[in-house]
Amino acid sequence: MTTYARYLLGRAITLAFSVWIAISIVFIIPRLVPGNPMDAILMKMSQMGASVGAQELVEEYKKIFGLDKDLFTQYISFIKELLRGNLGYSIGSFPTTVAELISRSIPWTIGLLSVTTILSWIIGTILGALIGWKGEHTILSRLFSYFALLLYVIPYYIFAILLLFFFSYYLRQTLGFGFPSSGGFTPGIELKGFTLEYVLDIIWHSILPALSIILTSLGWWYLSMRSMMTTVKGEDYILMAEAKGLSEKTIMWKYAFRNAILPQTTGLAIALSRIVGGALLTEVIFAYPGMGWLLYNAIKSLDYPLIQGCVLLIILSVALANFIIDLVYPLIDPRIRYGEET
Amino acid sequence: MKTTKIYRYLSKIKGNKKFFAGAFTVAFIYFISIIGSFILPSEYYRTGSFEPALPPNTKNFMGTDCLGRDILAQLFRGIQNSYKIGFIAATLGTIIGATIGFISGYYGGFIDKVINVIVDVFLSVPSLLFLILIAALISGGVTVETMALIICITNWSWPARQVRAQAMSLKRREFVYLSKLSGMGSMEIIVKELMPHMFQWMGANFINAFLSAVLTEAGLSILGLGPQRDVTLGVMIYWALSYSAIFRGMWWWIFPPVVTLIIVFFSLYILHVGLDEIINPKSKKV
Repeated sequence: MTTYARYLLGRAITLAFSVWIAISIVFIIPRLVPGNPMDAILMKMSQMGASVGAQELVEEYKKIFGLDKDLFTQYISFIKELLRGNLGYSIGSFPTTVAELISRSIPWTIGLLSVTTILSWIIGTILGALIGWKGEHTILSRLFSYFALLLYVIPYYIFAILLLFFFSYYLRQTLGFGFPSSGGFTPGIELKGFTLEYVLDIIWHSILPALSIILTSLGWWYLSMRSMMTTVKGEDYILMAEAKGLSEKTIMWKYAFRNAILPQTTGLAIALSRIVGGALLTEVIFAYPGMGWLLYNAIKSLDYPLIQGCVLLIILSVALANFIIDLVYPLIDPRIRYGEET
Repeated sequence: MKTTKIYRYLSKIKGNKKFFAGAFTVAFIYFISIIGSFILPSEYYRTGSFEPALPPNTKNFMGTDCLGRDILAQLFRGIQNSYKIGFIAATLGTIIGATIGFISGYYGGFIDKVINVIVDVFLSVPSLLFLILIAALISGGVTVETMALIICITNWSWPARQVRAQAMSLKRREFVYLSKLSGMGSMEIIVKELMPHMFQWMGANFINAFLSAVLTEAGLSILGLGPQRDVTLGVMIYWALSYSAIFRGMWWWIFPPVVTLIIVFFSLYILHVGLDEIINPKSKKV
């Protein structure tokens, strides 16, 4: 067996193990509370005054998940249903399944987060490279660093609140127009089909949520790229390139930048692995129709199966993405010695 | 000999502006909130004490919210509760994590492998998710103290991983062999020889854990899973958002908790960076 194959096997076992633990935790947590989880669901439903369909729901659940059987049988059928992609029914909107609700929301989250993550990475990296190359002690560098630090420390949802206030409410008060305050698109526009107008409307609605994510993660990309760039600048091969009489532009982009960008790429991969659960609260604040908004509404209506489904899906996506990073990374960076670690 | 060591420490702390600025601001905010709650009677943050939605005036310096509660009184109370959550969660999390990590790193073997996989799961999954599951189950019954305990469920994993690595390297150092040769028991070695090496690091971790606990509390509360019968900074934001304070133009409701959180985060971060510089002078951050 080659070293890479052995490494691969090790990672796969870790993945399987951590997925199993995560699933078990999600299974166990609701059962730690005294009483039957179904009774709790029924009680919550009657509290909300929704008795329609309650009995059918309970029957359905009992049948699929074997809730009247012992804990071990329940656990087995829970995993079995999970493998078939069945996450149960939503309580809030009964005949709809949890999987269906999630599949409706997930494109919004992935769309918003993948675009913003990549954009902020590009902007932060280039800014960091340019300013890092000029040196740490210029006025511009100091100014940017304090600004970046501030952006890095402020949590993205706090920043989202500020954006919402200034660019949606305040702008509308003073200038008469402002960015949309909620939703992912103007209601009704989706009926016309997938037109240019629809796409532009989606972009228009996602500007503020996107800004809250881009600006808060920008700080970190900038700071890490800048410090990498200053480190690389002191290397011997830069001196060598200078001695050869290459132009500064060539040295910077072809020598320094290409070496400094490697750790940034790892960072981007890790950031991309978290996109499904990465900005739940921004979606809550802007009522953006992704996973965060779904989860928020599930919490509000005490829809426990839906909460469970969302959490499980996000956990699984993170685990899988981590696995993919581990697989690809040794191929990108040959300096990683995959045989020896862990 | 010990006194000179402490003295050297103090002089290092004295020279660090970041540490001082951070520590001072964090303490100052808490101090103000304590004094403030003595001055403002606790009825001020009960529902219906004042006319609802009043802008700042001479009686209510920061106005009132839609339920007629004084914002300033809520803010003072909220700061104290958020700090309380941060303190409890950081203390317990650091101690539990350090103990688990130490056992795992010092003894090694099968226990180490099992603990390591569990820590891996907790580190790779965004911790907010497990917390959402748990907090959603006991929603309605969450108090400030249970909130802190809920946060502890996940925040032990980072110190566990760090302390494990330290314990693994420490146990191979020569002074440990020497103490074994000199006939010290294993408990004695742990307490007398190894613990002192951990304390510095645990201090820095405490600040970090405090910061992330306050952050997590705010996140959970904004999702509607915070303590219902009490005020924290996150709960204040939750109320302001659910009564759409922003679109009613009630800036005096949404800004106090938001600005306070930003100041607290920033000063905790500076404090952490300063402490880091004192502990390992080699690493210099921004």
